[in-house]
Amino acid sequence: MPSVVNEAVARKLLPIIYVIDTSGSMIGDRIASVNEAMNDSVEVLKDVSENNPTAELKIGVMQFDSNVRWVTNGLVFLEDYYWNDLSAGGLTSLGAALDELNEKLSRKELLSSDVGYKAPVIIFMSDGYPTDDYIKSLKKVRDGNKWFKIATKIAIGVGDDFDKAALTNVVGNSEAVIQVNDNETLKKLIRVVSVTASMVGSKSRTDESQINEVLAEVRQEMQGEADIDIPDPVTPPAQPQTKKDPDDAWNTGDGWGDSSEWT
Amino acid sequence: MSNFESGKLIPTQEGLSCKVVKYLAGGGQGDVYIVEYKGEKKALKWYKPNAVSKPQKFYDSLVDKARKGSPDKAFLWPLAVTQQFEGSFGYIMDLRPEGYYELCDFMLAKVQFPSFKAAVEACIRIVTAFRLLHNSGYCYQDMNDGNFFINPKTGDVLICDNDNVSPNKTDTFILGTPRYMAPEIVLSLDKPNTQTDRFSLSVVLFMILCMNHPFEGEHWLAPCLTPDMERLLYGSDATFLFDPQDDSNRPVPGVHDNVIRRWSYMPDYIQNAFLTAFSKDAIRNPARRLREADWLKVLVRFQSDIVRCPYCSNEVFIKDASDTPCDNCHKMLPVKHKLKLADYSITAAKGTRIYRCQIDRTCNADDALDRIGLVVAKDSDPNTLGFRNMTSSIFSATTPSGKARQVKPGEVVPLITGIRFQTPEGKNIEIQ
Repeated sequence: MPSVVNEAVARKLLPIIYVIDTSGSMIGDRIASVNEAMNDSVEVLKDVSENNPTAELKIGVMQFDSNVRWVTNGLVFLEDYYWNDLSAGGLTSLGAALDELNEKLSRKELLSSDVGYKAPVIIFMSDGYPTDDYIKSLKKVRDGNKWFKIATKIAIGVGDDFDKAALTNVVGNSEAVIQVNDNETLKKLIRVVSVTASMVGSKSRTDESQINEVLAEVRQEMQGEADIDIPDPVTPPAQPQTKKDPDDAWNTGDGWGDSSEWT
Repeated sequence: MSNFESGKLIPTQEGLSCKVVKYLAGGGQGDVYIVEYKGEKKALKWYKPNAVSKPQKFYDSLVDKARKGSPDKAFLWPLAVTQQFEGSFGYIMDLRPEGYYELCDFMLAKVQFPSFKAAVEACIRIVTAFRLLHNSGYCYQDMNDGNFFINPKTGDVLICDNDNVSPNKTDTFILGTPRYMAPEIVLSLDKPNTQTDRFSLSVVLFMILCMNHPFEGEHWLAPCLTPDMERLLYGSDATFLFDPQDDSNRPVPGVHDNVIRRWSYMPDYIQNAFLTAFSKDAIRNPARRLREADWLKVLVRFQSDIVRCPYCSNEVFIKDASDTPCDNCHKMLPVKHKLKLADYSITAAKGTRIYRCQIDRTCNADDALDRIGLVVAKDSDPNTLGFRNMTSSIFSATTPSGKARQVKPGEVVPLITGIRFQTPEGKNIEIQ
């Protein structure tokens, strides 16, 4: 055999997308804490991406205040990326942020690739109340965007006066809204959520329990930290056990669906 | 986060204590410390409270494994279990020596085997270890690329995470990693057992030799690999990259280049072994899977076919024990002598070993790696080769002129075309 240079095995891409509220109320310590935590998180994510056997990470950062802006140029590989501090000011256009996600979570936009993706991880952070009609935007993205629907969505509510109902609506699960009121705890939480969600998200799996696994690990890591409220898991109702006919479990090869369903 | 300060004494089940030296690493289930135990440095895996679902059962199983002892030196097996102590427990095992890397590092091309011979050696060691594990009535359950540590230079293997190893067919609620699971486990049709281990074993061997997962071809390129898709890919619609009847999942140039290149160089008997191991039949019918003895036979043959080119030192896979050109310098490697074995011939080069599974079609896995013979070179003339009887019995031999002779244990006979050996069991080796 000729001496061949081995390439690393092909890996799927795992998008980890931050949607960060940079409205006026974030000015000061809060945005400083977010900046510091993101700086650290990016370093740890580099490590996760480099050592992960199944997926390579791509990061996307979107900030929303009176406007919506991508801080990263779409989704970028971690090795090329360094955090640039965000500054805060303006309103809380959560609806506009969701519209932007709806537009960009698409194979025609951010999610084009030869190797394809794992289900995206989307981390929302906000400390206030949406100032636009986010409900309409949410309905649109939730009903029409397959990528958003299957994404592992987690929200970090900062302070004691954020719109918990809105964040719950966005992530679709009250357990996935973590409330934190202390800047030091916030910093740790951002790092822990980033690392846990990316590691769990890149794992090979055939069940739908990503979000529960992420939350369980975050809960364990954040045990004993000040001013944090991570909702307890709700035990899911027992699934009715149906006796399967082993022959039915095997496909005849037409289960792959149509790639074009993924816009 | 470390729980134990250095110097802390933790009592083991049998009464002796281990002394914490330092914290080594943390993981999902718990932490690993370096400890001193019976005067030696060992590793202690310490579980986080509530890290395992049925702690008492898990604990008892660890104690039982430590008592029975390791099936093979390849396993970093529990040597002793601590007492239930300060709300949890742990077990002591050997430390992993330097120079061993996770299989995952090989897959990410951070580490490479300097030779194919070493890669094949690693495969043989893994198969041997699992044979002994299965013989002891255990199954490994959760095989994945984090369990194997391989020394790229020698091919030596260490297997960790033996805490989930359980008697065959016990339900430990560990489901394993889908990529490495047998399809019937992915589809929740069965519980982990030795047959599902055998499937995972074939996946690991394919990954070591071909640097790609056997089912990750065109199907894998789906725009989004959701859990549903993984169920198809590794379960209900699992299709081997080179399935002769189904070409829907071929490797894709530009994405799966490793396997495209490597597969084309694999000897036909290795290709056939994988085609059988990953046939639709073997995917759906666990009884049709390749057994450890089948793997040993082809891997041992592969090893005897790998030689170094004397001109450029590239590795050459000798084909049919006949002159083969080097793929690198294109010079012809002459095969001066061959050894005709039960089903095939191999080239005789210094260091070539003959194992029982090469001369005896029906030998079982336990005897497969018994050494029969070794090709040696004369100290005074490295070009003069001889065949050494490596067994403890006397071979009968026939010279080219038809004279009968005897070859005692350890005795060397010069490689001369026409000499025939016969073992006491009536198995033949002929020098050609």
